[in-house]
Amino acid sequence: MSTAIDQQVASFQERFNRVKEEVSKVIVGSGEIIDGVIMSLLASGHVLLEGVPGLGKTKLVSTLSDVMHLKFSRIQFTPDLMPADITGTNVVQENAMGQKFLEFQQGPIFSNIVLADEVNRATPKTQSALLEAMEERSVTVGKTTHKLDSPFFVLATQNPLEMEGTYPLPEAQLDRFFLKLRVGYPTVESLHTILNRTTKVKEPQVERVLGQGEVLEMRKTVRAVPIARPVQDYAIRITLATHPRPPYAQPLTMKYVRYGSSPRGAQALVIGGKIRALLNNRLHVSCEDIRSVAYGALRHRVLLNFEGEAERVETDTVIKEILENTPEPK
Amino acid sequence: MSDKEIIVASLNRVERRIRTNRLLRELALSAVVFIALPLLLKVWDLFDPLRGSTVSVILGTWVLLFAAYLVWRVLQKGTLNDAAASVDLQADLHDELKTAFWFVNNPRPSEWVDAQVHRAAVNAQRLNFEHLYPRRIPTTSYIAAAMILVFVSLNFVPLSLNHNWLTLQAAPAFALNEKEAAILKQTQQLLRKAEKLKQSDVAQKLEDIVQQLQEGKIDAQQAAQMLDNIQSELEEGNLDAASINEGLEEMAKDLQQSDKLDPTAQAMQNKQLNLAADELRKLAEKLGLNSPKDTKEMQKSLEQAAENPRPGLDELAKMLKEAAENLKNGQQDAAQAGLESAANQLDALEQRMEAQDLKNLASKELQSLKDSLQQRQQGGQKQGGRGQQQQAGGKAQGGQGQKPQPGQQADPNAQGQSQDGGEGEPSDQNAQNNASQSGAPMPGGNDGNGLMPSGKGGSDAPREGAPTKLDVKLKEEKVQGMPDGGEKPENLEETSKQERSRLDYRNVKSDLSPAQKDLLNQDRIPWEYRPLIKDYFQAIRPAAGPQKK
Repeated sequence: MSTAIDQQVASFQERFNRVKEEVSKVIVGSGEIIDGVIMSLLASGHVLLEGVPGLGKTKLVSTLSDVMHLKFSRIQFTPDLMPADITGTNVVQENAMGQKFLEFQQGPIFSNIVLADEVNRATPKTQSALLEAMEERSVTVGKTTHKLDSPFFVLATQNPLEMEGTYPLPEAQLDRFFLKLRVGYPTVESLHTILNRTTKVKEPQVERVLGQGEVLEMRKTVRAVPIARPVQDYAIRITLATHPRPPYAQPLTMKYVRYGSSPRGAQALVIGGKIRALLNNRLHVSCEDIRSVAYGALRHRVLLNFEGEAERVETDTVIKEILENTPEPK
Repeated sequence: MSDKEIIVASLNRVERRIRTNRLLRELALSAVVFIALPLLLKVWDLFDPLRGSTVSVILGTWVLLFAAYLVWRVLQKGTLNDAAASVDLQADLHDELKTAFWFVNNPRPSEWVDAQVHRAAVNAQRLNFEHLYPRRIPTTSYIAAAMILVFVSLNFVPLSLNHNWLTLQAAPAFALNEKEAAILKQTQQLLRKAEKLKQSDVAQKLEDIVQQLQEGKIDAQQAAQMLDNIQSELEEGNLDAASINEGLEEMAKDLQQSDKLDPTAQAMQNKQLNLAADELRKLAEKLGLNSPKDTKEMQKSLEQAAENPRPGLDELAKMLKEAAENLKNGQQDAAQAGLESAANQLDALEQRMEAQDLKNLASKELQSLKDSLQQRQQGGQKQGGRGQQQQAGGKAQGGQGQKPQPGQQADPNAQGQSQDGGEGEPSDQNAQNNASQSGAPMPGGNDGNGLMPSGKGGSDAPREGAPTKLDVKLKEEKVQGMPDGGEKPENLEETSKQERSRLDYRNVKSDLSPAQKDLLNQDRIPWEYRPLIKDYFQAIRPAAGPQKK
């Protein structure tokens, strides 16, 4: 029994690491981002990548799709993009008898991995087209609901600098992202590696190492990891501490936060913790696992109030204080 | 053992180890806190000695509190959850044992849970608890040990005020100073010598008084009164030494008339009564060898010596008279027995005289001790007396006391006399404080006229006067107006005997306020009245004598 589970865990780690290694052949110096993206995929979640242009966000997603034997589509979000451009639409078709009928033409969302590039450039109306797909894994056009293939994984990117002509994602949509990862600027060493790899005749090639079935199997493994009540309680207390209400609220939360994380935040903490536990060859979730995913899972779920926005308070600062002041269970 | 048992056993072991380490740490720390108080008290005690009862109560309460704290801490056990959290932290297990223990207590039908518990049990078995929770002597224990050492050392510091608490010594309620202790020792020695001679228990009584004083059962004033009683006891049945000496000299003169009794007389004149007794015994033994003439002389001398005996020599005179009569009657054996009895009387008298001397000396020492105690009790109250500021003058009286005059306050402690005849200015600051508290004006105070008004707060209690230290011995005085015209001498030696004045001073109450008294007592005479006053006194002065200018 134990051996089977150990093998399952070992297999999970091996697959995870293989994917990471392949992606790392192309993407340099973003280990944590790669981990986060793969974690989101395995957690049946979606990920929002935020970073200035040129940091390889799009490349990361396209590489991931290359590594996995999954259907990939890319949607470049623009202000004139319409919902139907994403979901697809019914088009008039004519059969051999000359009769006309409506046939649903699938949009790019009908893939396993969808890259929503610069998602904040589209209008809220268009952004909302993703809502149902991200949560329900289905698309309703007209009176017909179309199920999406599993796994369905949305990777959205956004540029935090260019605010003109952009439409910030609504809270409801932000909450649907499992993690929000901030892509940082690479170090000098990483830049050397990037240049070495991308300025030569032959660019690095990746192999497909993971198929659809394997991803689903890994997802199942993640869900099987047990978590003790005290650790789960720790995750809950952290989540509740993001709300500006007693008894768990911290001073910084009380001052700068308008609304805290939804229960999806707690789910993200626990599932992210489980993946971390597996990656660390553990069969249980520790408080440290919860803390390690807290920033990514909560930073887009903590909504600052006017004062927080005015003082340019980072949500990470609030989360840091919460993590520091929330005691571990005994 | 099952995985569950392994985990629980490991956590129990860890809990015990954590508790032991915690107790050691807390014990050491609490020992430091515990010892701090006795140490501070001991340091205080070095400068201002604490009473035994004070030390006992404080330290007893402290020990009880400490013991209660220790019991409370020892009984306080940690939980296995805490132990699991601690092991996870120490062994970097990332909440493995904590999770496993939770699943042990909250079992789930899951392979993953079983696997997790199993893995935790295996890891728990591998743990080296000796390494994770080593038994260390806390640093604070060294501090506690050092403090104990200091505390013990302080108890053995060779200071006069120091008392060794470790041998259950503590400062007495009343501590004799060095001078008083010396006086006491001297007195006790004298009394013990006197006891050997006369089987009295006065020394024991004195010892009891000092002990009660030191234990705080009586105060200095009460001790002084008890010493007074002892003094009175010593003085009871006192021999009139001078009278006896003179009586002996008279007897010796009479006995010298006989050649055979001359050695006895010489010894009596030299106050060597034992020698005189021996000579008398020798004479009694050889009584039969004397010639009739010698016997006749002896008989006459003895008869003469037995006449008009002084008080205290009655028995001796009686024996001598019996011997003389027996000699006269030719009853040699009876005369021999009479002389033997007279010799025994002389021995007894010698012993009594010796005891008397010792008691007198002890009485003097007791007086000094009592005065010293009273001085400390009452402080430096100045002696009342018009125009006299003996305190301010601070001159020693040289052992001469002054009998208080009517209207004068005869406070012995304010006379500026010292017991040893030295400078009379009291050096005890407390004395001055006590004086100011009791409402008595301080020497050289505001009134400046040397009066002692009975102001508010003044004590109305009888005060004992200063001891009379006159060494003058008034011998025989003839009192005019006696029926025999003074021809018959009467000894008034009791009046000249050196003793403490028995006249108690009583502060007379006055309705006048201190301000009014000051006004009345002031010496300043208004300028315009001076000629008038001068004329008045010149008018009433006695008639001009030959010595008058």
